[in-house]
Parts: sequence; structure tokens; C-alpha cells
Amino acid sequence: MSALFDVLTENIDEFGGGLWVTLRLVGGAFVIAIVVGTFVAALRIAPSAWLRRLGGIYVETFRNIPLLVLLTLSYAGLRRAGVEIGTWTAGIASLGLYTAAYVAEVLRSGVFAVSKGQIEASLSLGFSYAQTLRRIVLPQAFRTVIPPLGSITIAMIKNSAIVGASIIALGDLLKNARIVQSDTFKTEESFIWAAAGYLLLTVAATIAFRFLERRLAISR
Amino acid sequence: MGYLVDPDNWEWLITARNARFILEGFLVNVQIALIAMVFSLILGLGLALLRLSRARAVSTATGLWIDLWRNLPLILVILYLAIALPEPWRDAYESAAPGFLPDVLQTGRVFAALLALVLYNSAVLAEIMRAGIQSLDRGQGEAAAALGMSYAQRMRLVILPQGLRRMVPATISQLITLNKDTTLVSIIGIQEVMRHGRILTGNNFFGGVQAPLLQVLIFIGALFIVVNLLLSRLSRRLEIRERERTGTTPEPVSGVEDQLAVARVD
Repeated sequence: MSALFDVLTENIDEFGGGLWVTLRLVGGAFVIAIVVGTFVAALRIAPSAWLRRLGGIYVETFRNIPLLVLLTLSYAGLRRAGVEIGTWTAGIASLGLYTAAYVAEVLRSGVFAVSKGQIEASLSLGFSYAQTLRRIVLPQAFRTVIPPLGSITIAMIKNSAIVGASIIALGDLLKNARIVQSDTFKTEESFIWAAAGYLLLTVAATIAFRFLERRLAISR
Repeated sequence: MGYLVDPDNWEWLITARNARFILEGFLVNVQIALIAMVFSLILGLGLALLRLSRARAVSTATGLWIDLWRNLPLILVILYLAIALPEPWRDAYESAAPGFLPDVLQTGRVFAALLALVLYNSAVLAEIMRAGIQSLDRGQGEAAAALGMSYAQRMRLVILPQGLRRMVPATISQLITLNKDTTLVSIIGIQEVMRHGRILTGNNFFGGVQAPLLQVLIFIGALFIVVNLLLSRLSRRLEIRERERTGTTPEPVSGVEDQLAVARVD
């Protein structure tokens, strides 16, 4: 047992540094996913058929393409084409844009979950369309999508491990654990600590989203 | 943009056997996905039934097992097993793999990848099946019991046919995720579509035209998009057919798969 902890304490810089890189990667990608996802969801429910189609193309493209293809394309592919792009930019943008497609779908279904009667009632009370969206529809839509947003975030934390394993090779938790493994040949220990780090992040995300859900729950 | 659509940069696609070489790699991905899916469904059903067992210890232990594999990054499991899988296991797989599989799929390395994919996806599918079974009205099982059916009969004749029908969209969603995840096996050196793509862009290219990486990856991405769109269309078809056949609206379970990859029909 103490051998297990020795591997952690002797390589705390690698594990700690890796966890920090993973955390920043996930944080950056989360912001992009929410911003782009909201924008694409707005396109998906826009009054114009062309805008809706545009949003649809975004979702179907980014949801059906493997993340590894996106990561390789955005880094090595663009570099070969003469576009100099950094490892961080490529990693955060790929993970964020990939996740944004899922966020957009969830937000869209959240808007549809608000019953039509509410919108009609609000319009007949004299609210404008924009006011109805901002004051009636979106606050309710946001609350209903908190649980699925939580699972998307957890999936994104797990997917972030692909960034370090891809050609981008950012020194994230899994990458650094593999470095420790090849230095020390302590295979089980290295991977157990990497796994523990990812579990720590996913459990923290679960708790955070559960807290949000309880805080914002509407009694029906 | 000019670079992207420049015909010179797409010449590789019609040169020699390049397009075919990529497609052959893609076929390996599809085969890995199908093999992993079949075993994941079988193991997933077993796990779901154990999870629903009335013996508290069995259900808790199975729950822990499912949560463990569901919450680990798949790439971590793949990389770990690629290093740590004991040699005798690999040898056993190599001698047991049926001869009709392509050579790539007969190596011990593929066993590590398949095992990781099955461990992960069977846990996700077990949760989907459990949700499908538990979404049924309690009265269904109770009525079947009142008619004198045994546990096995209740499951086989009443619960599973209804519960499993509800999990079809979520299962296809997971199959799409699995299909994409098969590219991860390139990281442990299995010759599939990503590796084939890199070969075309390297120095040992065929046919005298070196392929630009960006275009090759766009082509590979397009293959995945086409196949996955067909899968989600299939899912929607099945749902509509089921609705017409039974005259009811089945309530599909969703949200327990890894990522929602099939649009709900709102």
C-alpha cells in the first residue's frame, strides 16, 4: 500500500501539473462549449429556415466526427496547410467545439420543453417576443437542462484525456501519468493515480451540478 | 479556403488505390465497433440483470463495477490494457480469433482495445437497459407474477420485450459514440483509418502524389459523418415504425448514454 502512495509523493509534480493542465483544458473548453452551444441553439430555433439548417449542419458535423479527427485536423492538419496554431488553442478549440454540438442539442430540447401555453399566455399578457424569451422561456429552459449539461460536462472531462494522447500531446494528467509509468515502470500505480484524478474531477462536477439543480429547482 | 478546394490537393483521392486504402482502414473501425457492440450488449444485459437483483450485495457490487468503468476515460483504459494485459491473454486471443477476421484484428494488441471498449460500453449499456426496464410500470411485473409466471418467464416474455424496445434509440446513440471511439485504437498502433491516413501523408505514399493531411482528415471525418447519420436515421425509422405498429408512443429512455448522439423527435 505504501508503494502506491510513494509513487504519488515522489512524482507529485507530474501528477499535480497534469491535473492542473487538465483542469485548464476542461475550463477553457467548457466556456467555448457553452458560448458556441448557446449560439448554435439560437440558430436551431431561429425563425428563418436557412439559419435553422445552418445550426443543424453544425450539430450533425461536430457530433458525428471523432474527437481524435478534430484534434489531429486542427493541429497537424492546419499546420501542414500553413496555419500556425498552438497546442493549447487546438486542444481547447477542438474539445470545446465538439462539446458545443451536444450543448446546443440539449438547450434546444430545453426550450421545447417549455409548454406552448406559457408562451401564448405571456404574449397575450402583452410581453414582447424578446421579453417572453428572456423572462419566461429561457429561465425555465435553463433549469430543465441542468442535469443533461452535467452529463455533457462529465463526458467532456473524460474526453479531455484524448487531447494529451493525441498528436497535440499537451502534458495533461494522463500524458504525465504515462511519463511517470515509463520512467518508473510502476504501471498499476501510475494509472491508478491518473484514474483517481479523473474521478476526482468528475465527482466534483457531479456535486456542483447537483447543487445547481437543487438551488434552481422549481417546485411543480 | 483556396488551399482547401484546390483540385491539386484532392488529386491524391483519385490516384492509385488511395481512396480504397482509406476505406479499408475505415472497415477495420466498423468491424471493431460491431464486435465490441455485440459483446457489450451481451455483457451489458447480464450486468443490468445483476444490478436489478434483489440480493442487496449483488446489486451494490454490480453498481460499483458499472460506475467504475463508466466514469474512467476510455483512452486511459485502452492505454493501460495495451501495456498491462498479460502475455498469455494475448496469445489466447490470437489462437482463438476466428480466421475469417482480417489479419489486423487477429493480433493480441487488438484484444486490449476490444477488452477496453467492451468494459466501457457494457457498463454504459447496462445503465441504459436498467433505465429501460425500470421505466416500465411496476404493475407489468406484478401482473405477470400474479399469472403464475416464474422470474425467468416474466423477464423473457413481459419485461424485456417492452423494456429493451425503449432502449433502442439510446443504444444506437451509444453505437455512434462507440463508432467514433474506435479511432482511439490508432493510439496503441492498430492499423485502422487514422493510421492509414497518416501513411498516405507520410513519405512512403503511393502513386506519386503525397496527400495533404488536412484533406485526408476531412475525407475520414466525412466517412464517419455519413455512417453515423445513417445510424441515427435508422433509429428514427425504428421509432416511427414502432409507433405505427403498436399505435402507442413508446417512451424511449435517454440521458444515460455516454453522450446523446441521436436527436429526440420533439
